[in-house]
Amino acid sequence: MKMNWMTRLAFALLPIIASLAITALLITLVGSDPRAVFERVFEGAFRNSTAFAGVVNFWIPLVLCSMGLVVTFTAGLWNIGVEGQMMVGAIFASWGAQFLALPAPLQVGAEIALAMAGGAVWASLAGLLKVRLGVHEIFGGVALNALANVWAIYLISGPWQPPEGGSAQATRPFPPDAVLPSISNAFPVSLLGLIIAFLAVVGVALALRGTRWGLQLKATGKNPRSALLLGVPTTQSALTALIVCGVLAGAAGSYRALFTYTSLRPLLTGGIGFLGLLVVLLVGVRAIWTPLVAFAFAVVLGGSTRLRVALQLDQSLAGVLQSTVVLMVLLANGLRRRLSARRSVEAPQPTQTAVDFKQEQTAHE
Amino acid sequence: MDIELRHIHKRFGAVHANNDISAVFHSGQIVGILGENGAGKSTLMKILAGFQPPDSGVILLDGAPAAYGSPEAALSAGIGMLQQDPLDIGAFTVIENFIYGSHLTRREAYRALSAQTERLGFDIDPDALVSTLSIGQRQQLEIVRLLALGVKTLILDEPTTGISTEQKTLLFDALRLLAKRDGMSVLLVSHKLEDVIALCDRAVVLRSGCLVGELDAPLTTADLVQLMFGGELIQQKRKHPGTGDVVAALEGVTLRSRRMTVEPFTLRIRASEVIGLAGLDNSGQELALRACAGLVKPAAGRVMVLGEDMTGKPYRAFMQKGVWFSAAGRLEEGLIAGLTLTEHVALVADSRPLLDWNAARALTEAKLAQYQVRGQPESLVETLSGGNQQRLLMGLLPEKPVLLALEQPTRGLDVDSSQWIWTQLLDRCDVGTAILFTSPDLDELVAHSDRLLVAFAGRITEVPDAASVTIDQLGRMIGGAFQ
Amino acid sequence: MRHKVGLFVLVCALLSVVALPALAQDEFVFGVVLVGPENDRGWSQAHYEGGLYVEAVVPGTRMIYFPSLNPADAPETTLLDVVDEMVDQGARVIFTASDAFEEDTNRVAKAFPDVVFINISGDDALTGAAPSNVGNLMGQMEWGKLIAGCAAGLTTQTGSIGYLGPLINAETRRLAASAYLGARYCYETYAGGNPNDLTFTVTWIGFWFNIPGVTLDPNEETNAFYNSGADVVISGIDTTEAIVVAGQRAARGEAVWAVPYDYLGACEEAPEVCLGVPYFHWGPDYAEIVMAVMDGTWSQDWEWVGPDWSDINNPDTSAVGFIFGDGLSEESAAALEDFIADLAAYATNPFIPPSFALWSGWAGPLVLQDGTVLAAEGELVDPLDVWYLGQLLRGMIGASS
Repeated sequence: MKMNWMTRLAFALLPIIASLAITALLITLVGSDPRAVFERVFEGAFRNSTAFAGVVNFWIPLVLCSMGLVVTFTAGLWNIGVEGQMMVGAIFASWGAQFLALPAPLQVGAEIALAMAGGAVWASLAGLLKVRLGVHEIFGGVALNALANVWAIYLISGPWQPPEGGSAQATRPFPPDAVLPSISNAFPVSLLGLIIAFLAVVGVALALRGTRWGLQLKATGKNPRSALLLGVPTTQSALTALIVCGVLAGAAGSYRALFTYTSLRPLLTGGIGFLGLLVVLLVGVRAIWTPLVAFAFAVVLGGSTRLRVALQLDQSLAGVLQSTVVLMVLLANGLRRRLSARRSVEAPQPTQTAVDFKQEQTAHE
Repeated sequence: MDIELRHIHKRFGAVHANNDISAVFHSGQIVGILGENGAGKSTLMKILAGFQPPDSGVILLDGAPAAYGSPEAALSAGIGMLQQDPLDIGAFTVIENFIYGSHLTRREAYRALSAQTERLGFDIDPDALVSTLSIGQRQQLEIVRLLALGVKTLILDEPTTGISTEQKTLLFDALRLLAKRDGMSVLLVSHKLEDVIALCDRAVVLRSGCLVGELDAPLTTADLVQLMFGGELIQQKRKHPGTGDVVAALEGVTLRSRRMTVEPFTLRIRASEVIGLAGLDNSGQELALRACAGLVKPAAGRVMVLGEDMTGKPYRAFMQKGVWFSAAGRLEEGLIAGLTLTEHVALVADSRPLLDWNAARALTEAKLAQYQVRGQPESLVETLSGGNQQRLLMGLLPEKPVLLALEQPTRGLDVDSSQWIWTQLLDRCDVGTAILFTSPDLDELVAHSDRLLVAFAGRITEVPDAASVTIDQLGRMIGGAFQ
Repeated sequence: MRHKVGLFVLVCALLSVVALPALAQDEFVFGVVLVGPENDRGWSQAHYEGGLYVEAVVPGTRMIYFPSLNPADAPETTLLDVVDEMVDQGARVIFTASDAFEEDTNRVAKAFPDVVFINISGDDALTGAAPSNVGNLMGQMEWGKLIAGCAAGLTTQTGSIGYLGPLINAETRRLAASAYLGARYCYETYAGGNPNDLTFTVTWIGFWFNIPGVTLDPNEETNAFYNSGADVVISGIDTTEAIVVAGQRAARGEAVWAVPYDYLGACEEAPEVCLGVPYFHWGPDYAEIVMAVMDGTWSQDWEWVGPDWSDINNPDTSAVGFIFGDGLSEESAAALEDFIADLAAYATNPFIPPSFALWSGWAGPLVLQDGTVLAAEGELVDPLDVWYLGQLLRGMIGASS
């Protein structure tokens, strides 16, 4: 019943190869050379340490959000609000960067802690809306995202407006002591950011695998009614999952504000949270694969910067590649499920993601 | 239609689910397919109905080899299967479900539906939402739907589970009519010996994937049990403790659901008691059972556990007091599809924040052995057969709960598994656990209850002399003829 | 000086036809970083075409550009990444064409001291906040807005003009105020109206272009202007909503007009309602800077470049211009010609010091919204006071901050 590792590997590689082939075909159709395109993307990501730093700087917030979303998906929640949680994290961090004055080693840590708290507050709002008022987390999340964006714009164009002469499209750059330092000029990445991302990956993986809390989240996500009967505090599970996601999203937001832009900017989250949703759906909520897939996304997107500069190809090409990958992975998952279903009718695959769940439902009709 | 199976084989990994099965089913006959859980009867019927292909072997329909790879193809070949849980769509009306998959216009569909239901003596309102029907009515809908699709062979998988005695009588009459007058083949998958004896012209018995015998009517329990289990069953003896302290009580409780109201009643449950709640579907017994575990909040009155007022508290508070509930739908409410057996055990084993998977696995292995669950610790729970799921659920209950509130504890289980479950339950009663349970199976209620309550249309009444009540008497009571 | 540059460019252009094969080997790469797409018919496209102009007239140059660098459209990359790419591709001068890049440009420039950076519309080279390899460039769009305002003042029948502003800063305030001064002047001088009856309302949408859910919707705001009695809307944002909406309403028979912004071809969206467009022509100044870097004569400067008054629409010499639109009546067009000639006479009058000459449209009495006197009767305003204009002028309706 279980597939051997060769088949598994094939199913992991197949969608990637297929999507590369399809994208190559598309590139040829619009009259470019696909090899040059792929080469540029690769160069764009790995040319030198600075280019690679760009990839890592995108990967850090992406993986933080993704790991948070692994937690909420495990608990069966569609935390669309992750973008807003990121934004509020950035706002809280920006407050700290502008108005806190602590001794140097404490300053940045306090800002990140603030950001985590901010993300957690925003996430628990979505959670409370759900458990107290029955507002589905998707609707609550969308509303809270908009609210967070409006809040940021208000601050930037209002109370936190830079003095004359500055641009009004961001707060004034934060003082050097208040931002995350780079590892080096050649590799401008924040060490602290890397460490937090690493801890998030390991922490979430271990928590889901080895703690009662993680198991309770899984039970709640797969069948809240049964979970309740087995003694799982399902409401508490849902809330804590959201809060953990909010903490990680807040940290991601602080990285954007305290490192990438060293200021608060409108829309600074840039859809990274939504990309995280995609990552997690792709890996089927398996914590271990998440950083790798997030990294692949960061490479393709970061590498495509060079595509635009060097070949002046349309910026949507990276998006095309990305969406093709998503389609192919979903296709491969469907195929795999169909194959294993043929081998064993009595052992259907568990519904792992909401996408799968939808498919199952339509299959019943 | 005559059906012949020749040398059917089907393997799932190491399990040889169907091992060289050959059988003939003639038109106009009702054949019972018997066997304990996991004997391979469902697999065989799923092969016949096109839900899965055999590994090898041939199916002949009226002498011609049939090759169909899907349920749709089987349907057009004239073979239809009524699943244990009818595959209808709750949000649609009866008539919409009826039309689904056919080529009838709405008007033709109304006519065809009413003609069939009238002929078979069924009673379903074409415009009712399916979600408001009882399981029995949904079965009836599924049968007339399959008939309208031109089915010549009807396979029924455990059709008498979860339906009332009246509906069972109705169903059996209809099946007899279809076989005797219309000349259809009817295949009845069941583990209930009395159903097979009452209805079938012939019984085919499977054990461990092999066809071990065929018997023609008149069928007897002894013969069938001999074939199924290779031995006679011992009848469980009822015990009569019932003098312990009151451990839980519903005091003047009124219950409301969207569909009904249960009038105020009082029920005091003593340690070591077994109390059966009898009643047709949706008569109020389900609400009463859930109220005892805090899963339904009473509209009025009080719920007491161990002398403490628990009214309005959540189920978890009841659990902490030692009150455990187990629902009829095992994979809907009880077990969690997608979690392994070990994960289930770890979930309820203790409350330490960190999990020790080695210890949990060891504990799971011990429980699997103790509760005779056939499965591996790392298997996903939905891969277990129904009986094994029920035994696992039993293993997840604490050793010495104060009160077990059980909804149809032996739903879909064969005689042997049911007996085993009750042995386990009654062992717990010996150490003081009280049991409150519902069942559509009057036998089960009469056999195991120290006290009996009957629910009818929202009125819950205690049977005065439970020890001497007979099945027939109880049957009349749940139908409303209370003394 | 500008004429000399134009001449030089022309000569170079001619030479390039002859000498191109020889120079192509050793191409000079310059980068242009855009905040919006290169085909936005507005601010970003004007810069993109400035780059194309350089490629056309300065032999051996090649542009590389990066469109839509902003957190929403390109979250995966930052100015640092883009500049690193461009430098890797050989870029030696990089134009960062938005005030959104002002701070980042300084930061990145420190990491690439051998590359020249030109931030468009910033002032850090003036204030000293920028490292020595960063210069600033901006066109004196105030002239364009004076003319745009004049066109609106000449045309309005209801005496009510709307100004669709982006976000609020000194630049956008001084441009809105210039439009107001032009409108007021022409409404009185040519149209014979009482300037105190003129209603001039500014609505800030919150950003340079529409971000759904974040900024006000410029389509809705334009409609709101027309619904509340304005018949001319002057756009101050990067994109074309004002003229598009005006075109739609005119098609339904309403007498409304609009003045778009930034890009030479902006009138094409709805020519019949277009009173004209004040636009930037970055090419000549881009070319001048590129050539200065090429021959090693570039030094840090804060450039605020005005039009070529001999012909404000000369593509090789004028940094800002104004194209007359089809919506302008013949009479108004003649008046507008007069107005431009007046401005030109002032600006080119050899007896007025250059710094004052610049601000002939900004003559006193001018009072800020809070009552502070900016210039008394008969005085001209110091250009830097205009650059750093802290409030809208009294008489304008709208928020100053």
